[in-house]
Amino acid sequence: MSPVDVVLVDDHLMFRTGVRASLDDRVNVVGEAASVDDAVRVVRELRPPVVLLDVHLPGGDGGGGAEVIRTCADLLGETRFLALSVSDAAEDVVAVIRAGARGYVTKAISGADLSDAVQRVASGDAVFSPRLAGFVLDSFGTSAGDVAIADDEMDRLSAREREVMRLIARGYSYREVAGELFISIKTVETHVSAVLRKLQLSSRHELTRWAAARRLL
Amino acid sequence: MWVPPNPQPSRLPLRRPVGGRVVGGAALGLAAHLDQPPAMVRWAFVGLTPLAGLGLALYVFLWVTVPTGDPATAGGDERPAALSRLARSQGLGAERLRRVPVTDIATALVLLAGAAVLVAVRTGAHIDTTWVVPLVLLLAGTTLAWSQLDAAQRGRMRSRTGGRTPVSVLRLVGGLVLAGIGVLLLVAQETEPAALLQVTIAAVAVLAGVALVMAPWWLRLVRELGDERAARAREAERADIAAHLHDSVLQTLALIRARAADDPTEVARMARAQERELREWLYDDRPAPGTSVAAALRAIVAEVEDSRSGPTGEPVAVDTVVVGDRAPDAQTEALLQATREALVNAVVHGRPPVSLYLEVGEETVEVFVRDRGEGFDVESIPSDRFGVRESIMGRVRRRGGDATVQCKKGRGTEVHLCVPVLDSAARPQKETQR
Repeated sequence: MSPVDVVLVDDHLMFRTGVRASLDDRVNVVGEAASVDDAVRVVRELRPPVVLLDVHLPGGDGGGGAEVIRTCADLLGETRFLALSVSDAAEDVVAVIRAGARGYVTKAISGADLSDAVQRVASGDAVFSPRLAGFVLDSFGTSAGDVAIADDEMDRLSAREREVMRLIARGYSYREVAGELFISIKTVETHVSAVLRKLQLSSRHELTRWAAARRLL
Repeated sequence: MWVPPNPQPSRLPLRRPVGGRVVGGAALGLAAHLDQPPAMVRWAFVGLTPLAGLGLALYVFLWVTVPTGDPATAGGDERPAALSRLARSQGLGAERLRRVPVTDIATALVLLAGAAVLVAVRTGAHIDTTWVVPLVLLLAGTTLAWSQLDAAQRGRMRSRTGGRTPVSVLRLVGGLVLAGIGVLLLVAQETEPAALLQVTIAAVAVLAGVALVMAPWWLRLVRELGDERAARAREAERADIAAHLHDSVLQTLALIRARAADDPTEVARMARAQERELREWLYDDRPAPGTSVAAALRAIVAEVEDSRSGPTGEPVAVDTVVVGDRAPDAQTEALLQATREALVNAVVHGRPPVSLYLEVGEETVEVFVRDRGEGFDVESIPSDRFGVRESIMGRVRRRGGDATVQCKKGRGTEVHLCVPVLDSAARPQKETQR
């Protein structure tokens, strides 16, 4: 596989240097930006397949990473955003995912795993960290009983999707999930992408409340 | 960031200092406020007194209205918390202010005056009651109303949370009524009852008019005061948290710098512990102790991360995910104890990364502890060994739960623990997840 071009957006130079050094040769950093306005300019100019995006960024209207994605919404077909943040607060996660990010990983991730995630996002899949999966389970409900309350397709997880989410939350990689459930990795990826879509479009009150608090609606 | 050099207020606030008083400290306080020598201010008061008692009246007015306190300290208090040091300085607490027993002295004076009047009456002196009674009433009313100034300061902590108390309202109304009657009697000495009624109505009407005009201004003042108090409380809380964090982070950084060369393991462990604490303060709603299984689990994780090392002596971070929460009970207590044993096992004997997943469901609470090691065969553990079999499985099974260990080649080891929930009423709001 050819290396994926990425733009790295983070307001800390030290962290950008660290990420650059830790990424392996499957990823090629073509540009960097340190603020919302910088990021929008660089992304529009370079149009990279993947943008590694910090959630908290200075500049712009104070919307951070989510604002960058919304400003570049017209590029979402060719450019994909992977949120990379030190924060694991629910409102931060929801903000960028609902703005259109294809995944969310925390900064504790290893270089190899991050390169993996970049590859995965570049090929159109979603990247879920255990914590994001746990968050999905928490907001969509863990038991089948929730199905009765939610009448909209977007507001509930299928049994299989819930199983996949639980395994990811338990620390399983996509490959391990596939092995555990006797399905192909491709199927796992389909399930995860479906969950991501639901996370972005769902009108479940937990999600909408967080979104409303951040004025995302 | 550029910080203005010294944002001390240019003028100290009006306070009556405790030390160095001659009478009530009013002149001393005024001198500090105006930045003039105290002697000059004192002489100014004395000099003004022959002018129809102006100096004396001014002095008494200041004595009554200006609160006791150290002007310099009060000036420091008025600086916004964001500009002050975040960490509170040690040992510089305000010393306890000595209070003059004003009430006792006033009571004694009133009693003495009463006694003097009685003696005067007995000895045959003629006292004109038409003057004395209204004056006494007026004085009593004023005292009653003014006394709340002092009480308001005493009860500041109370009023900050609640607002005004019924006693203070009673005091104000009683004082107003008494003073009003006193004034009326004083002014309308020779008039007939009908005219008195008219005068009363006119006076009340004027007062009502003034109140109507002043109401919006007064309301705004009250509201602004409330807002400012709330903002101050928030600021103080933020400063408290920041101080706590800065303190611990600085300490850890100093330790790390001191030991970076010779003990990388310990440095990694300290960094991890600090990260955990910082994370908790920044991103978590900290529940009250004893109300959250999730918080109890985090405490266990912290303890294991701090005290145990992997097979080669390196610290191991536990990747923890929690879904749902509830109040702890005997069931979850047993589950958490077993979780701790499983976690120690995974950290010490397994291979990182170690993952921990807790799910609080409607009927069961489940825990998964996973590491990437080769695992162990449960059946091969001798039954006399008081290890995994008893400390993990026994604990959970006695509570009607279940424990299984799964080892798969190349996929690590996973311990699955599960206990049934006894009463679903104890389940708190779902939002308390994080």
